Amino acid sequence: MSRATVRFWGVRGSHAAPHATHLGVGGNTSCVEVRAGDHLIVCDGGTGLIPLGNELLAQREIRELLVLFTHYHWDHICGLPFFVPAFLPQWQLKFFGPGQTASEIERHLSNQMKAPYFPVETGNWMAAIEYLEPSTAGLWYGPMHVSYQSVHHPGVTYGYRIAVGGKTVVYVSDNEVDFMHAAIEQRADEFSADEREQMTAIAEEERDADLNFIRGADILIHDAQYTPEDYTKKRGWGHSCYVDTVNYAIDAGVKALYLFHHDPAHDDGKVAEMHQHCLEIIRNRGAQLLCTIAREGLVVEL
Amino acid sequence: MKRAMTPVRPLIVSIDDASSSRLFFDRIAASMDVEPVAFPSAAAAMPLLSERKPALIFLDIIMPGKDGLTFLQELRAMPMHHDTAVVIVTSKDYAQDRATAKSLGVMDYLIKPLTTQTLREAIVKVTVGAPVTP
Repeated sequence: MSRATVRFWGVRGSHAAPHATHLGVGGNTSCVEVRAGDHLIVCDGGTGLIPLGNELLAQREIRELLVLFTHYHWDHICGLPFFVPAFLPQWQLKFFGPGQTASEIERHLSNQMKAPYFPVETGNWMAAIEYLEPSTAGLWYGPMHVSYQSVHHPGVTYGYRIAVGGKTVVYVSDNEVDFMHAAIEQRADEFSADEREQMTAIAEEERDADLNFIRGADILIHDAQYTPEDYTKKRGWGHSCYVDTVNYAIDAGVKALYLFHHDPAHDDGKVAEMHQHCLEIIRNRGAQLLCTIAREGLVVEL
Repeated sequence: MKRAMTPVRPLIVSIDDASSSRLFFDRIAASMDVEPVAFPSAAAAMPLLSERKPALIFLDIIMPGKDGLTFLQELRAMPMHHDTAVVIVTSKDYAQDRATAKSLGVMDYLIKPLTTQTLREAIVKVTVGAPVTP
């Protein structure tokens, strides 16, 4: 197998955070590359896509890539209008994301590049652009196979599972883990004992389905935006408390978890504090999970 | 010889990938005068829905294959189902999903966990005095 790597270009959630206090972790929004030899898949087109595009101009080996969008909230697409390879004729770009058809994906991505919001429309792109049709069998891109499923976040949002050379990378940038269990606890007074039992069975089954999607991943890149204090105020916003994320990764037998989609209100010190607590949870559970802060510029060998 | 007329019961469909959710629906529907049918996916429900118009469809959103809201968009494009009563039953409690569901003409948007009574009331709402279709 040729060399395969994961590189983080943008790790921030919600909006960019280009503050001196945040740059140890990084200020750009979601963008992660998965590279196998000369094949390049890019997960999301947040502001991290801009420096990636600029770096690609400095090399000659790759002139084609696939961008997978988890969804179309701004922090995941706002780098696309500034992605220089799209404006150059020698490039071939494939785009995929939620949508019933390729033309729906095109519509979602093109809508942000229109007057009065942006001076140049996607029709001005000079690269060969292809929007991929949805397929329940997933997608092949060179040696990489991509499967996807809906996750718990406002609007249709995908998580991606990328298999390459016997290794698996799972990218779930935005996902609210264990929403239903928390809701059962919070609304306990509304349910009879029998109803509570039935609802718990439903919550367990839904959790198992979520766990199956990330099960055994070599690398899981997952939403860990909130502290427990944040989550008391922002439950139902579509993001996870890091405590739930780390337990979820342990329960699914993940090998390495990368805490991702950092809250723009959290500076480097706060993210480090959250990470230390994750390590404590892993120790206390006697688990083998490796847990790392996803930082801009970090490269991981698969 | 005269044949006895069998009353036709309203068809109620549930589409949910979680077997425990379908069981919850089955238990409630079994105690009511309806014809309940449950499917684990949108694709599995299509053969029936291409032939019959239920009195009500309970529809989950997050499912393998096609998600519920994408499926509902397709369903609305079918002339027979442009006004079929649909109630979303999901653990997704988000304004964006509610707005999409509303734009697709759903009757209600119910959040899991939910009580027996909540689901029962949705069935009663469409079956009391409603015409039935074989």
